[in-house]
Amino acid sequence: MEDYIEVLQRGKADIHFVHPDEFRKFVRDKKNRGLEDKLMDEKEAVKKYVKDGDYLAYDFSSLTRGPQSLIREIIRQRKKNLWVLAKFTLLETVLLAGAGCVDKIDIGFLGFGPYIARKVQEGAVKVYDYSNGSVTYRLVAGAMGIPFMPARDLLGTDTMKQSGGIVIRDPFSKIPVALFPALNPDVSIIHVQEADIYGNARVYGPTVATLETAMASKRVIISAERIIETIEFREHPNWTTVPYYCVDAVVHAPFGAYPGGTQGYYEMDADHYLKLTSIKTEEEMQEYLEEYVYSVDNHEEFLEKRVGVKRLKELIQNSQILEGYR
Amino acid sequence: MEVEFTDTEFMICNAARLLEDNKTIFVGWGVPQVVAILAEKLYTPNIVQVFEFGAIGPQSRTPFLRGTMGGPSNTYRSLQWCSMNLAFSYAQVGYIDYGMLGAAQIDRYGNINSTMIGDDYSRPKVRFPGSGGGNEVASYCWKTIIVMAHEKRRFVERCDFITSPGHKLDGKTREEVGLPAESGPFRVITSKGMFGFDEETKELKLLGVLRGLTVDEVLDDMGIEPLVAENVVELDPPTAQELKTLREEIDPYGLIISKGAKFKVEL
Repeated sequence: MEDYIEVLQRGKADIHFVHPDEFRKFVRDKKNRGLEDKLMDEKEAVKKYVKDGDYLAYDFSSLTRGPQSLIREIIRQRKKNLWVLAKFTLLETVLLAGAGCVDKIDIGFLGFGPYIARKVQEGAVKVYDYSNGSVTYRLVAGAMGIPFMPARDLLGTDTMKQSGGIVIRDPFSKIPVALFPALNPDVSIIHVQEADIYGNARVYGPTVATLETAMASKRVIISAERIIETIEFREHPNWTTVPYYCVDAVVHAPFGAYPGGTQGYYEMDADHYLKLTSIKTEEEMQEYLEEYVYSVDNHEEFLEKRVGVKRLKELIQNSQILEGYR
Repeated sequence: MEVEFTDTEFMICNAARLLEDNKTIFVGWGVPQVVAILAEKLYTPNIVQVFEFGAIGPQSRTPFLRGTMGGPSNTYRSLQWCSMNLAFSYAQVGYIDYGMLGAAQIDRYGNINSTMIGDDYSRPKVRFPGSGGGNEVASYCWKTIIVMAHEKRRFVERCDFITSPGHKLDGKTREEVGLPAESGPFRVITSKGMFGFDEETKELKLLGVLRGLTVDEVLDDMGIEPLVAENVVELDPPTAQELKTLREEIDPYGLIISKGAKFKVEL
């Protein structure tokens, strides 16, 4: 048959997939279009919107503008059986796996250091390999409300075999093309520079997939360095990265990306990173988690007792480049 | 007079000399970032760096911050900040001339492994971070340059896992599997030499060796036998100016450039 689309290859991975109409109905019924004050702390936001077994995505990364206070809160609440999107990740997977929160990881970039590598080598965490680009295209499809995105990456590779993509013969060009299934995470956590109490959010700097991640996800928790008035968004509508109706919770989280940096606010804490990336053994990991996550009640206490004003002041001082971030 | 330098310094300098001015380059994490900064400072002032997280044309600040990927010094004075979707789409549609990547393993056709060592995907002997944006760089850029340490175990007949595509994928050409035509690996820069790919067979071909090394010494350190060009050129060691720029301006703490074996070569 002339019109039959030929499937040339199927990747092996299990996929988290939501039918586009199911997602539309969720948006219709569960996403509030009213201007509702969504301000709450990490504890309440995670309790309300992150469930055991959820598919979790985040943006940007643990070095830059990553939602680290929310990651720590997810660990503190000992969430279980998460399926995590490791898109452009660095240390989020390391911590979540160390805390036993994660069962499965879709990999753009697995993460740094010997600890997470060992978890995969031992089979303690199940992984599915893609690439940063293909997982981002999955989010783009999820954000557009379509079931897949065609693209020309992963073709011919073992990565394709282990992914959730398929290869078809494109009916237009007649060449093989990859189709990546849409990704609609149950929940995403995103750190931004500025947000209002309704969830309008503004990011300065490169965005990775901020808007796509928010649009594609059923529930969205925004953490922000500053809470600003809504009029600020109306004055510069071009600068709105995520509109309020995508957002379910807004957390005011100064230094929310620590030990990473947030552009225009503070630099990353390189010493703390070194401590994290050098974790090898289970014992070292559990000691780290006890000291920096479990033994403090919340983000404020973490900053006060585990980081300290002196260190925070140094990180602000190291962040002197403001061009583009105001 | 002698010049002393590390493996990494030689690779960085040799790779920087390969780039062309007024072209775009997709830059991977780590060593490629330093290559691009060195090239911009000494050889190709109008080269436009492109980063996967969504920075087009930054003029990265020095000293280079190791680990930075998207922070203010790495994205300083960009022409555009955008999303990852767009950064890769610029490459997919054909705007990006060069790509630069590292690799754990490489095979005869320039396929790259950055995922795992072993033969069981579910229980790898060694697990690496995986593709990151490497697959897109190797799939989409017109010419990909691979920069890697020259070690026997890294050159294999077939990668344990093909993360990113070379010129032939289990017998099929790039076009046959659907990859963009006329793209693919262009050079492999190692700590001992430089390789290209044969125009006809697309096999790895030794083009040059570091001054002071023989062709046999370079071939002995490989797990496969590559083709050898008729006239293998002698590659200059790092120049005084290159080393000064690397050591004083770009990486004064030696976070990247101090890695690897040390070489001494007569000037």
